Amino acid sequence: MSKYMLQKIAQYGIVIFIILTLNFLLPRLMPGNPLMYLAGEDVGFMTSEEKQQVLEDAGLNDPLYVQYGSYLKDMFTGNFGYSYQQKMPIIELLSDRIPWTLLLAGLNLVIATILGVIFGAISAWKRGTRTDVNMLTFFMFLSAMPSFWIGMILVSIFAGTLGWLPVFGAETGWSNYTGWERVVDITKHLILPLVSLVLISVTNVFMTMRYSMLNVLGEDYIKMAKAKGVKNRTIKYRHAMRNALLPVATVFMLSLGFMLSGATVIETVFAYPGVGRLMFESVLARDYPLIQATFLIITLSVIVANFIADLMYPFLDPKVGKSNG
Amino acid sequence: MDKQKWKHYLTVFTNNNLGMIGIAILLFYIFIALFAPLISPYDPTARVGAPFLSPNSNFLLGTNDVGQDILSELIHGTRISILIGIIAAFLSVAIGCLIGIIAGYYGGKIDNFLMRVVDLVLVIPFLPLMILLAAFIGPSFWNIIFVISVLTWAGPARVIRSQVLTVKTKGYVEAARSIGSKVSTILSKHILPGVVPIALSQFVLAASQAILIEASLSFLGLGDPFNKSWGTVLYYAQARSAFLTDAWLWWILPPGILITVLVIGFAFTGYSMEEILDPRLRKGRKSNE
Repeated sequence: MSKYMLQKIAQYGIVIFIILTLNFLLPRLMPGNPLMYLAGEDVGFMTSEEKQQVLEDAGLNDPLYVQYGSYLKDMFTGNFGYSYQQKMPIIELLSDRIPWTLLLAGLNLVIATILGVIFGAISAWKRGTRTDVNMLTFFMFLSAMPSFWIGMILVSIFAGTLGWLPVFGAETGWSNYTGWERVVDITKHLILPLVSLVLISVTNVFMTMRYSMLNVLGEDYIKMAKAKGVKNRTIKYRHAMRNALLPVATVFMLSLGFMLSGATVIETVFAYPGVGRLMFESVLARDYPLIQATFLIITLSVIVANFIADLMYPFLDPKVGKSNG
Repeated sequence: MDKQKWKHYLTVFTNNNLGMIGIAILLFYIFIALFAPLISPYDPTARVGAPFLSPNSNFLLGTNDVGQDILSELIHGTRISILIGIIAAFLSVAIGCLIGIIAGYYGGKIDNFLMRVVDLVLVIPFLPLMILLAAFIGPSFWNIIFVISVLTWAGPARVIRSQVLTVKTKGYVEAARSIGSKVSTILSKHILPGVVPIALSQFVLAASQAILIEASLSFLGLGDPFNKSWGTVLYYAQARSAFLTDAWLWWILPPGILITVLVIGFAFTGYSMEEILDPRLRKGRKSNE
């Protein structure tokens, strides 16, 4: 294993350790009753035996290092505890919500990447022309808008005013649609959140692709191909785009964090039943164990994606592996 | 830095159209923020009309769900949004300067360690962590500022460190070192002034980022309930389903436009500052045109 790899493994190991520890310490460091963070407003209705029981179940009477040990064990076995607000084990809540986020964020990742690559390549190819300037202006304005607001405007126009698409949720409630009907229903609900999410994530890919393509277009082999009289189309697709895609591959993984954060906000706007919306609901209800669990799930998946991207990097760009290893 | 150089920056800046537009936008917002109580027609916290009124001659942007004037809310919200953005960005860049200068000046193990820390902070996706922190320490004006600045200093730190590395090799720093000047004197008299221009442009960009983050946090219900920002106004508009009726035109559209234009104002100012600091960019743009 190269030095680069070991370094990365150590680095991400530390990040995960810090995240887990922070998540453990935060409720215990805060002033006030730790019961408050476990059971929320239910505390008011509990008898003192019930309170003791909750403390005992959560192991809060144990010394801190024992608590930390069992906390780590719980986290690795997926035992996130119990949500007193939703009256359900947290792991069940999460497993209901994760598929919706995967659907939304996964489709977004594919569509935003394809669109960003195409527009970025066109923009760089036509550098300095009207098309390029228009595209840059468009994407700059887009990235200046608050992400949730883009969603709110879309829902106001296409769901509220025009009534073309549903306002919230992932499916029509109590409808019992099956088969094809259900697919159509789910698709209709998916369109607006997906379009909003693509709009807020595509800028990142666009900018990277444009920059990378501009670099590639300045390389000697492109000039050489031009001088040899190779057709523009061939240069564009065979030579330039293929090489410019390299950095985009890493951005693809690195933007995952950005996209999942974006999904948190967009799911909230559309009441889309994903993990992000679950985090918002838990914040509103001050359901602390659930806030912590959703935080961990979102953060760890982002960190793992970044880790994979970092490990892939030397394979994509041989220069990195060599200079470090 | 000597006066001549600042004068030169100023000339380049005033010749830069984008930069002037950016500054004009910022001045406009600062004017509104400073004179909010004089400009706004009503007290934003007072119930001055019936709830859910459409725009009319008394209430230019209608009223919200409890009968407060939306226009007055937005004018006063300018104060909160700008203050949070500016203070958070200032703290973020201040931490960044401190870390960046120490790392860049001392180099070696200290530098290595601090840059590892920067890498760590950059890897953590900040929105979920901000939500977690804000949820536990509670929503308030200063807590939001704390959460934003404590999680966004890493980018500026890296930029400032590389600037320190360049400044350090300049003749006058070497000279000061060789005549045995105190480290504190070298840092404050020689290194810091060389870093200030870059820190300023970092500050401007950080402010636009902070304003967007504040809006998101407030929209997620983590804003200060007693000092409504634009994000908080949008939170209530969403909670009261303003998107189902025409109310979105005066309740959802205006706050978002205010945020977008302000962010663009900061971005224009920041880009042109970067261009001034990096003459290569200036040349690059000319050859493009």
